[in-house]
Amino acid sequence: MVGKAGGRTALVRWFFNPYVQLAFDAILVTTAELMLKLGATASTPLTASISWLGVSALASKWTWIGIVAYLVSLACWLYVLRHIPVSIAFGLISVAQVLVPLGAWLFLGESISPRRWIGIASVLCGTVLIARTIVRRGDQ
Amino acid sequence: MTALAFGIALLSQLFLICGQLLLKRAMHFTPIRIRTLVGGIALLSVWFFLWLGLLADWDLSRLFPFEGLNPVLVVFGAWLFLKERVPLLGWIGIGLISLGVGLVTAS
Repeated sequence: MVGKAGGRTALVRWFFNPYVQLAFDAILVTTAELMLKLGATASTPLTASISWLGVSALASKWTWIGIVAYLVSLACWLYVLRHIPVSIAFGLISVAQVLVPLGAWLFLGESISPRRWIGIASVLCGTVLIARTIVRRGDQ
Repeated sequence: MTALAFGIALLSQLFLICGQLLLKRAMHFTPIRIRTLVGGIALLSVWFFLWLGLLADWDLSRLFPFEGLNPVLVVFGAWLFLKERVPLLGWIGIGLISLGVGLVTAS
């Protein structure tokens, strides 16, 4: 039986594991992207000529929540990059791209097209392959 | 999709990839290289606003080729410029991820 202090140390160690941080980062990035899409569509461009800059989206509160989520995710990401090669980390963080439709399917009851299911399966297969290269490297 | 939007989308992805490589470069050293880090964050900020602008005008499903190519291009950049070793299994994995992201975004 591990004591209270020992349990806390294990939790801290778990929290600072770069792969755990990468998982947090994926959730944060997913949240940020959903917020940004909400913000970008909620606002109307000031003038057509500068609409490509995306400045008008700053008027929406969703955009600001998205920006905060992005800033926290950046801190996570920098920590991850310090410990994992970017060629491995960037592949794994791409899982965030399939979390959005999966989340909408699980929690909002939205349907997923067959093509999208194939895409999700493809990303997950790729993630498993990259995870296997990590095991071979002898990383944690 | 207009030629201008296509050009901006291409440019924004270039900023994203270069920004990511600079971040990794900066975090590689102890102490962290602040100037490289700031440069990387600056490039990512430019990408952020360009991408926000594209999302306002175009549906994400129109931007899928750019979104899909990101993982494979970042890994290629890391292999080419940062000399990271990428095993064959890693290349196949990143190829499947890129394909999958493209398919998910497209539909």
